[in-house]
Amino acid sequence: MLKISNLTARVAGKNILNGVDLEVNAGEIHALMGPNGSGKSTLAQILAGREDYEITGGSVLFEGRDLLALPPEERARAGLFLGFQYPVEIPGVNNVYLLKAALNAKRKAAGEPEVDAYEFLALIKQKMKFMQMSESFLTRGVNEGFSGGEKKRNEVLQMLVLEPKLAILDETDSGLDIDALKVVSNGVNSLRDPHRSVVLVTHYQRLLDYIVPDRVHVFSGGRILKSGDKSLALELEKRGYDWLQESRVA
Amino acid sequence: MSATAHSASPATAAAAGAAPQSAALRSFEAQWHARRAGPLHALRESAMQRFVQLGLPTMRDETWRYTNLRALAAHAYVDAAGDAPAAALQSDSLRSPALRIVNGVPCAADRARLLENGLEIMPLSELLRGDPVLLRGFLEPLSDADQQRWALLNTALFVDGLYIRITARLAAPLRLVHVTAGPGAAHPRVIIEAAPGSAATIVEEHVSHGDADSLCNSVTQIAAGAGAEIEHYRIFRGGPRAAHIDTLDIRQAGGSRCKQFTICLGGALLRTNLEARLEAAGAALDSYALLVGHGSRHADCVNIATHSAPDTRSRQTARIIASGDSRVIFNSKVIVCTGAVRSESMQSCRGLLMSPAAEIDTRPQLEIHTDEVKCAHGATTGRLDPDMLFYMLSRGLDRRTAQSLLVYAFLADVMTDMSPAAGRDSIDSALLAQLPESDLLRGLR
Repeated sequence: MLKISNLTARVAGKNILNGVDLEVNAGEIHALMGPNGSGKSTLAQILAGREDYEITGGSVLFEGRDLLALPPEERARAGLFLGFQYPVEIPGVNNVYLLKAALNAKRKAAGEPEVDAYEFLALIKQKMKFMQMSESFLTRGVNEGFSGGEKKRNEVLQMLVLEPKLAILDETDSGLDIDALKVVSNGVNSLRDPHRSVVLVTHYQRLLDYIVPDRVHVFSGGRILKSGDKSLALELEKRGYDWLQESRVA
Repeated sequence: MSATAHSASPATAAAAGAAPQSAALRSFEAQWHARRAGPLHALRESAMQRFVQLGLPTMRDETWRYTNLRALAAHAYVDAAGDAPAAALQSDSLRSPALRIVNGVPCAADRARLLENGLEIMPLSELLRGDPVLLRGFLEPLSDADQQRWALLNTALFVDGLYIRITARLAAPLRLVHVTAGPGAAHPRVIIEAAPGSAATIVEEHVSHGDADSLCNSVTQIAAGAGAEIEHYRIFRGGPRAAHIDTLDIRQAGGSRCKQFTICLGGALLRTNLEARLEAAGAALDSYALLVGHGSRHADCVNIATHSAPDTRSRQTARIIASGDSRVIFNSKVIVCTGAVRSESMQSCRGLLMSPAAEIDTRPQLEIHTDEVKCAHGATTGRLDPDMLFYMLSRGLDRRTAQSLLVYAFLADVMTDMSPAAGRDSIDSALLAQLPESDLLRGLR
């Protein structure tokens, strides 16, 4: 599904990614953990196509295609989804309208007909109910005036409607109370499928109580320091990140 | 009163020693000479004299520093005919029922159709004969302020116009369509008096007919009585060779509320002035400017709100989009007079540049002569927000669509505050037509 090889990148002359290697197979859920400033979010943004970063080396293949050669909108249509850490507010652009335009862009790229307005409304209402979102979100601007938790639900709602092949969720759990965390986790779990993969970028082990990962990677200094199964997350929770960084120096 | 054409005018004499007159100024004087003396002649003559003495505004004048009138000054204008061709009355922007005013002269048949309880509409030509004292109250005092310069010329040269008196809460909006049918210059004058407690929505739309160079020098005055509620629109949709200078004067009594929209969607050269005076406690003004610079248009909008009484409130919101090599200027000023304590004002101006050659200039100003006031202002000009754009691209929208949506969204603050009854949808459509990728946007809605 996703194969990142020795990826290096910098912004404003500063190296941020220092040789990332990561392979995610279809059907797998990977958790990417690590301290603040370790480059996790940068990796997520680069994968989605943010242009503020300079790729200095390495490659990224998405279903065998050179992902880095595609503009962000084509990556999305090919089935890549980024759940933003800080979803931007876009006053004046209707939340549902954006979602419909996004779905139609994807369908068009796949040679499918545009979604019927009536069907779409039914679909989105059903998904909103699942995400326990009030129907008032139908008429609001994209993320406009949403609380932090509502923004995160909205990201997952978009993911449920777009049904990506690969979802990268950048700290979708941060700022959520326990009930919201369950709702968001249910949303992610509902997409679990042998043909679909998820990369969870997170600080906290608690998300992994609800979404059980196949692999856990510790990210530090712009690269993956250590990989393991779910028990690695538990060990991190117990011993902190310093343990790994120290062992690396040693 | 006998009507006689007057031969010699002090206006000419007064200017004799001044710098060489521009062709435009000479042509305005010629228009004045061709007028017959009527009621209020001395007042109008005095207005003409002062206009000639002051001359056309130049970039040395404070509120004209961004607008060069050289091309306009070089043009000799004839009096635009009051009996304009019938075709001018068939403007496609007309939606019934509307009162058409062609080159300043209201269409009598339209007026008859619009009369209703609580609404009096009288041509100024009639008022001038029938009640010159009432009219004098609106034409005086004359001001030399540079943003009022063209109003002097209008006072001298208006041929006709409308006096509208509102005495009830009107259910339907009153629509006025001003048609400037070139060639020549027209000086339409509209006076609106809203009695205490009355309410009305008034939409003034300015269009031009024909492709000749034309100049419209319009003046609208609104006097809102105590507790009156007025929603006023001025929409400029002149053709590519139309020059327009519009002056709007609003006086608000205690507890009156005025919502004013200035919408620029047309013309080659547009200058709008707004002077609002909040004269008694509780008066509140919300002014909105939606200015679209398109092609090589030059639009210069000057808004001045004067708080002369305590507990008054003004809010000025401007949204500007400039593409092509257009230039858009927004100057807003709040004056809080001595004693106008607890005044509140807000000025918010945001500009969006859509091309490298376009230019937006904004200048929010405050002049405060008392303590205990709350005045805020902010002005930003930039390009589309890259974070918003990336978010939309990351959802699969193509770049053109994402950009168009963001441009449209940029204007949402102003659009959502318009009442649907005032024709928000048609304003919306006209606006879309001037945005980049308008076809795309239309399909998206």
